[in-house]
Amino acid sequence: MFQTVADIALVMTFLGIAAHWGLVPTGGPRNVVQGGVHVFSLLLIEQRASILGVLKKLAYLVSLVCFLVLAITGFWPLLVRGEHISGYLMMIHATFAPVFALCLAILAVTWAGANRFTAEDCPWVQRLLRRTTRLHVATEDQPGRCAVLWYKATFWLLMFLALPLILSIVISMFHILGTSWQHFTMAIHRWTGLVFAVVAILHTYLAIRTRMVYNT
Amino acid sequence: MVNTHWKEVDTLKKVLFAGLCVPSLLAWLAAAGGAAEPNAVTTRGDGARTPGVHRIPLYAESVEPGKLGDKITKETSPAVPFSIRGTCSECHVYKHDYDVIQKGWHFNATDANVPPGRPGQPWIYTDVTTGTQIPLSYRAWPGTFRPDQVGWTPFKFTQFFGRQMPGGGAGEIDTKDDNEIPRQIVSGKLEINCLSCHDRDPAHDQAEYTAQVAKQSFRWAATASASFALVSGSAKEMDDTFDYLMPDMVMDEKKKPLVPTVTYQPSAFDHKDQVVFNVSGKISADRCYFCHSDINVDQCGSEKWQGDEDVHLTAGLTCVDCHREGLEHNTIRGYEGEVNANVMAAKTSCKGCHLGDENGNRPEGGRLGAPVPTHKGIPTVHFERLACTACHSGPWPGDTTYHVKTSQTHGLGTRTVNKSPKALPHVLYPVFAKQAPVDGNEAAARKIGPHKLIWPAYWGAISEDGKVRPLDLTTVKNVVGPALKGLVFTAAGDWAEIKDAQITGVLKTLAGSVKDAKPVYVTGGTLYRLNEGGTLASSWDHPAAAAYTWPIAHNVRPAGQSLGVGKCTVCHSTASPFFFGKVAVDSPIASLSSLTKVQYEFQQAPHGRTWAFAMSFIFRPWFKVVAIGAAGLIGLVLLLYGLRALGAVARVLAEQEK
Repeated sequence: MFQTVADIALVMTFLGIAAHWGLVPTGGPRNVVQGGVHVFSLLLIEQRASILGVLKKLAYLVSLVCFLVLAITGFWPLLVRGEHISGYLMMIHATFAPVFALCLAILAVTWAGANRFTAEDCPWVQRLLRRTTRLHVATEDQPGRCAVLWYKATFWLLMFLALPLILSIVISMFHILGTSWQHFTMAIHRWTGLVFAVVAILHTYLAIRTRMVYNT
Repeated sequence: MVNTHWKEVDTLKKVLFAGLCVPSLLAWLAAAGGAAEPNAVTTRGDGARTPGVHRIPLYAESVEPGKLGDKITKETSPAVPFSIRGTCSECHVYKHDYDVIQKGWHFNATDANVPPGRPGQPWIYTDVTTGTQIPLSYRAWPGTFRPDQVGWTPFKFTQFFGRQMPGGGAGEIDTKDDNEIPRQIVSGKLEINCLSCHDRDPAHDQAEYTAQVAKQSFRWAATASASFALVSGSAKEMDDTFDYLMPDMVMDEKKKPLVPTVTYQPSAFDHKDQVVFNVSGKISADRCYFCHSDINVDQCGSEKWQGDEDVHLTAGLTCVDCHREGLEHNTIRGYEGEVNANVMAAKTSCKGCHLGDENGNRPEGGRLGAPVPTHKGIPTVHFERLACTACHSGPWPGDTTYHVKTSQTHGLGTRTVNKSPKALPHVLYPVFAKQAPVDGNEAAARKIGPHKLIWPAYWGAISEDGKVRPLDLTTVKNVVGPALKGLVFTAAGDWAEIKDAQITGVLKTLAGSVKDAKPVYVTGGTLYRLNEGGTLASSWDHPAAAAYTWPIAHNVRPAGQSLGVGKCTVCHSTASPFFFGKVAVDSPIASLSSLTKVQYEFQQAPHGRTWAFAMSFIFRPWFKVVAIGAAGLIGLVLLLYGLRALGAVARVLAEQEK
């Protein structure tokens, strides 16, 4: 079942992103090669960045690499070979996992402030809130900012998912849980990993989009 | 046309009539047949757990097939051995119970139609004078050889290995060897000896049974084991014309004292000339032990008190609590995924008793008081990759494998046993190897479990296509024995060292005896042959020289001594015996016997990956610290900003109130 759901979820995510990219233009380069170079340039550390800025960017880039490695080593055997992770893939997975966890913690501390929800994040949410709650929510309509809201939401979702993702595997390494709970924690790790992967892909896509919107 | 039509109608009627009547007749006959066998006369139990008393007359071997032999009384002269088939079949005649029992696991090895099941302990023929140690079995277990492949008839096989068989099987096969026919008439057949397992009399003497088998006194063996009879003499010493019903016809004064003779204890017979057999279906472990004992000679020598029994037995169970069987004697072997007609098979494996059907509607685990394990801290992948026995059975693994002696390989419990720890065959354990595919159960095949191992050593022939077959053991004895000059034998029964020059000499000698192939010597994982120039060439790790392994289940250690009870590094370290322990190579050739293999080689695991995985556990504590620290930090951030968000919402709501 997990294999089927994971296949569908990942394919839907990529198709959804492709459709969104095509239907809602950002104003950036439309040429595929130019777009690729542009996106890659967004990943580079800016020269004007402060030490903290460099640290943040570095943590982000390392976590991105770790995410790719963890996703490939975690999903490849299950989705392609239909078997559990083992051997060298297991060792690579377990080597990159703590680095990823550390980077996530750094990102949580350094990015949390910037990802606080504010009243300006999305005009239609403000309007919705005003209508449904009749509260005096500050109004400063700025068109096209909803991507920021989703970007922030995916950040907090990633942080929230990171907890069960990390703890489910760490706790199974202690002499605490019996077999049935071990199965349960593995299921939590697997399913949380899938949701985390989908959200991380969306977050990365939104990060690129918001950068492109700002840059244009 | 009209007549033809009516003929067709007649034919149709006949067909219809026959179609209705014949099945009805058959059904009636079947019902009548069934009525002739009411449940009341079956030899099945009635459900009472009290064993029935077997006060029964003794019967001699039948001279007319299908009929009972003569009744034996205390006055019968000369006293003849009782026949198990005759004595037991007077009551166990329903549906020919003896014939049904013959198909049971302990007796059906020679039946080629019986699936071989999981590879098991072979019979190992050893001969130190020819450097031979070869696993034999009538079951098609890969790595063993059928006795006929080494030129052995069932009769010869029985004489050699019948010592620790409960009779039947090869012991009851009519020999086709012209020279053996008169010998089989003299010795009789080795009938199934029910007493071997079922006799609870403390005076039951199974060692005497083995002594009779060695003396070819097959007909007398069961009687000799009974508490109320004594047997002397030896059928092997009798001439081909000997008739056991006329022992007085032996004229040779030297042979007269060796005539097989039975003496029954007169008080064993009651006034109806019946004797009491203290037999029961609840078989004592002591009976099983005669053929199923083993001892770690490296740790205990031959002192059984220095080793612990299986935890199940010390907890009060007996062997047959798990290895159950009904009248069919289709014994449950007890491994996971066993294909067995026995209805209790699935429930009586390790998993069956301790865990039951975990997805079932009712709790089935914990049968017979079995503790239901929680396996705290053991990642579930272990249950996919390891058999239960990997952690729970056999001795705690050491840096090198141990030598073990077993009843069947070494004749433990018999009177002529060599008690030296070095006596051949050299069986090693525990070897953590991947289990062989069995009964079409591929999942079980992937699991690693502890095994016993022997390195075959035999003289053989390699054909053009590279297939190696063992040579006839008689040829080996007659040709190799004399050619291996200068071997130094020890009383311990250990290998006599064979030098390369001696192998070369024997291979040259054997060249004349081997047709369409070239002679080889297989030992210690190596195949020796002469190359074109006549010099000796060897191939290490040759497939034909591969070790034969068979899974072990006993002795089971207590949970507190199982492998998973300590730290992960008990197995997952570069020094762990489980992966990196040495498996000794055994051979009469000194340069080979100093070699070792490594446990992971038997698990079909590559060195690099196994080593890297073991190494990674050095960093496992760091992994835990970093991961827990990171999770803690993320949790704090979430808590902090969650509280701030809550505060913001509260502030908005409070301002709204104003």
